[in-house]
Amino acid sequence: MTELTPANRRFLAFDLDDTEREQAGLSGHTIEHLSDYLDRDRMPADASIDDSPDCEIALRGLERLRRAQRLLLERDLERESRRDDSWVSAILDNITLEAHAGREIPLAHPSPTARLVVTEGAVRGILRETGDRMQNVFVGRCVLVGDVSVPGAPISIGVDVTVFPGENIPLLAEQLRHAMYVALGKYTELVVAAIDITVSDLQALPDAPAQEKEH
Amino acid sequence: MPGTLREQVASPLAAATDQMLADRAADGDLRAFEVLVRRYGPLMRVYAIRILGSNDESDDVVQESFITAWQQLGTLDDGSAVKSWLMRIVSRKSIDRLRARRQHVNIDDTDAPAPDHHAPHALAEVESQTEALARVLAALPEDQRRCWTLREVAEYSYGDIAAEVNLPLSTVRGLLARARKTLLREMEEWR
Repeated sequence: MTELTPANRRFLAFDLDDTEREQAGLSGHTIEHLSDYLDRDRMPADASIDDSPDCEIALRGLERLRRAQRLLLERDLERESRRDDSWVSAILDNITLEAHAGREIPLAHPSPTARLVVTEGAVRGILRETGDRMQNVFVGRCVLVGDVSVPGAPISIGVDVTVFPGENIPLLAEQLRHAMYVALGKYTELVVAAIDITVSDLQALPDAPAQEKEH
Repeated sequence: MPGTLREQVASPLAAATDQMLADRAADGDLRAFEVLVRRYGPLMRVYAIRILGSNDESDDVVQESFITAWQQLGTLDDGSAVKSWLMRIVSRKSIDRLRARRQHVNIDDTDAPAPDHHAPHALAEVESQTEALARVLAALPEDQRRCWTLREVAEYSYGDIAAEVNLPLSTVRGLLARARKTLLREMEEWR
């Protein structure tokens, strides 16, 4: 076994412009090679790197840099996550719901001069909230297929749904479909020919928030 | 009515996947969007601060980014990619700010938001490695700092960085290698 390179030995291949000098100081490699090698977890093993004391010093430096980078990011994220909530309100207060209102769906009214509409966005909201009132199901994207602007014209509805593991999917889908028909009948005059429910993801394993650390 | 509530109660949506949240937000669900704001807002601010320095501009850029995101969510095909999509928006807005700022300050020709002082030897003893790294990152030339931040904060691949900064892949690799060598050299100084 070769003797360990002293930890305090200075690494000198920092020439920013001269690749030849960089390679001369790193047994023919470059910092870029070594960084890629670390990215691959030093696999497959490369003896010309592993057996070079110069490379070892440089790899140690790169690892230290990564550690510092990771710590810096963690520290910054923690600081930003600790801020009070005013920045969230500032964003949400500047948002207009009209951006996602979609098409206008007419509602009948006894007066010939009155024009009542419900927006497509509001209908999607009704569908989502119907799902949110049930357990173990998330309603995702909802689409209204057909000409919603013509009163009485039959349309169909497509709904993406995530169901939690262990649920009886056909039963849950049927309950959801029924609840959606009831809600639509209550708030709109849409003639709904079908509600197609796509169970798109059975895993339902939530993404860990970005700032959550793994252990 | 649906879509107009903003309750402060913990929502089960906080546990939903990015895909689910992005889909719902694209359909106009403000609560789902709020969860995305909380989930990625801090990272976007860290990004903006690395590019612009810590100031009101970073706040503005993150706010503008989310407003743009809300308006354009319908154009995002793959909701599970919402994180990198948000990082791209904040990256572009940060660069726009930097350019606008440069047009106002053309005499004072510094190219970084810049450390207040540049005396690594004197500071080495009192400064932690992370603080030192933050300082050296801030002093990198703009193109290197941008590539580095896309790589390390936004977690972009080399190819995605090249597409984003509109440079050949080899140039991006060169900029990152240069940044890495500068950082390594500075770190050697602190030991």
